[in-house]
Amino acid sequence: METQKIEKSAPLVESVLSVESPPARSGFLRALWAIIWKDLAAELRSRELLSAMLVFALLVILIFNFALELDAQTRFNVAAGVLWVTFAFAGTLGLNRSMAMEKDRGCMDGLLLAPVDRSAIYFGKMFGNLIFMLLVEIIVLPVYSLLYNVNLFQPGLIVVTLLGSIGYVAVGTLLASMAVQTRTRDILLPILLFPVMIPLFIAAVKASGGFLQGIPMDEIWPWLNLLLVYDMVFIAVAFMVFDYIVEE
Amino acid sequence: MLHLLQEGPAQTGAYMIAGYIVIFGVMALYLISLIVRWRNSLQDLETLQSLEEKALENSPHP
Amino acid sequence: MTTKPIALKILDLATILLLLVATGLVFFFAPLERVMGLVQKVFYFHVAAGWVGMLGFLVAAVVGGIYLARGDRKWDIVGLAAVEIGMAFAFINVVTGSIWARPIWNTWWTWDPRLTTATIMLLIYAAYLMLRSGIEDPDRRARFGAVYAIVGFISVPLTFFSARLFRTIHPVVIGTNQPGAEGAFDMTADMRLVFFFSLFTFSVIFVDLLWHRIRLGQLQDQVEQLKLKFNV
Repeated sequence: METQKIEKSAPLVESVLSVESPPARSGFLRALWAIIWKDLAAELRSRELLSAMLVFALLVILIFNFALELDAQTRFNVAAGVLWVTFAFAGTLGLNRSMAMEKDRGCMDGLLLAPVDRSAIYFGKMFGNLIFMLLVEIIVLPVYSLLYNVNLFQPGLIVVTLLGSIGYVAVGTLLASMAVQTRTRDILLPILLFPVMIPLFIAAVKASGGFLQGIPMDEIWPWLNLLLVYDMVFIAVAFMVFDYIVEE
Repeated sequence: MLHLLQEGPAQTGAYMIAGYIVIFGVMALYLISLIVRWRNSLQDLETLQSLEEKALENSPHP
Repeated sequence: MTTKPIALKILDLATILLLLVATGLVFFFAPLERVMGLVQKVFYFHVAAGWVGMLGFLVAAVVGGIYLARGDRKWDIVGLAAVEIGMAFAFINVVTGSIWARPIWNTWWTWDPRLTTATIMLLIYAAYLMLRSGIEDPDRRARFGAVYAIVGFISVPLTFFSARLFRTIHPVVIGTNQPGAEGAFDMTADMRLVFFFSLFTFSVIFVDLLWHRIRLGQLQDQVEQLKLKFNV
């Protein structure tokens, strides 16, 4: 069983070890890239994750349309909120699947055996999750714009989406790594994530809404600040504690 | 506001009582849960310790 | 190990006395508030309970960090104890906050930043307990608990800021924009005395309950180890 797991992640470990006595930093980056690429390649082949997230996101938007029967003006006002609820829920899906794949295929154990700094695993997973989330968002934004007759492709809104997604994925990857190792698994992630994610969520919604409604930058700045602070703080925290989550 | 000062404070006694029931009630409930859990664990411990003694008596294998 | 240490017996006594005195002060010493009437008296223990809630969270996060660094089991027991107690008092804080709001602003809930943050904190506590209950291995349970306690604790000030910022843009519709809308009122010197005494009393209650809960945790650990020995 052990050898099976090692064999599965052999290509990954190989790619990490293939450079002879690399300086520490490039070893780290190499591992990082290897992990990201592993996830992307797996997804390219099966496309399970992305399609699931995408369909789910579109369904959520559809449901909101019927749940909140609104006139055009109100729909415009709630656009930012609906968007971020969609991202939050679809994001949970992505995080769950992403970490579950590690555990189920036994890749995690293989990764841990590789002579790689644990934080590389964290950042690798985090960036992988971020890419998936961004891919979904890139598709959802134009769909939403069409359905609700709102131009969501403003630079401000793109920036907020990026910052919000980074924070979400930073905390989400950490918590998903824990959730996937429990009995309750999938159900547990939103319970762990949502209360902790609220400042990010509020800031993202208010900033997005602000950009959409064209309110002055002065009023949007505090929210952007909050987003930045949240991102930095939680990336730092996750970086420091991730070791303790995956040690065996 | 002046009319409030002239009428005197609002009649909110019932809410105060409700509030204090919650405060003391929850504290009491927690205390009770501590006591109950303590007693259960103590009982478990005694049972296990007597099992241990019996096991020692029954198997004096050198 | 199962007999109560003398220091704890003394602490128990002191705690009960302090609570009696504090209650007496609230009902017989603190003046009746001009506008709100009797319900204002809930305020003293309401805030004190909120304070204990935060204290519990702080302790859980700190000992969580210590556990991660040292790996000593006893810190996990302290952490769980702190969360349990903090949760009970955070619950008291939120519910009494609601009870206080009802006659004053004719609503069971105001999205007051402090109350909102306290509720979210309560949810984080609950999530902490759910996380722990889903893990069999005690070491992993302790590690994950510690990590979540830290993550949760750090999120609280951020939540508070965001809720407050949100509120400055969306002031309470029901109340007014005066400070009164957040339940502020001018405290006389007498009130301040009772207020701080209540804070002190509840802090002592926290320590007393914490000690008791830690002892319970140690006893439970003992039982667990014996159970493993007998494969019960």
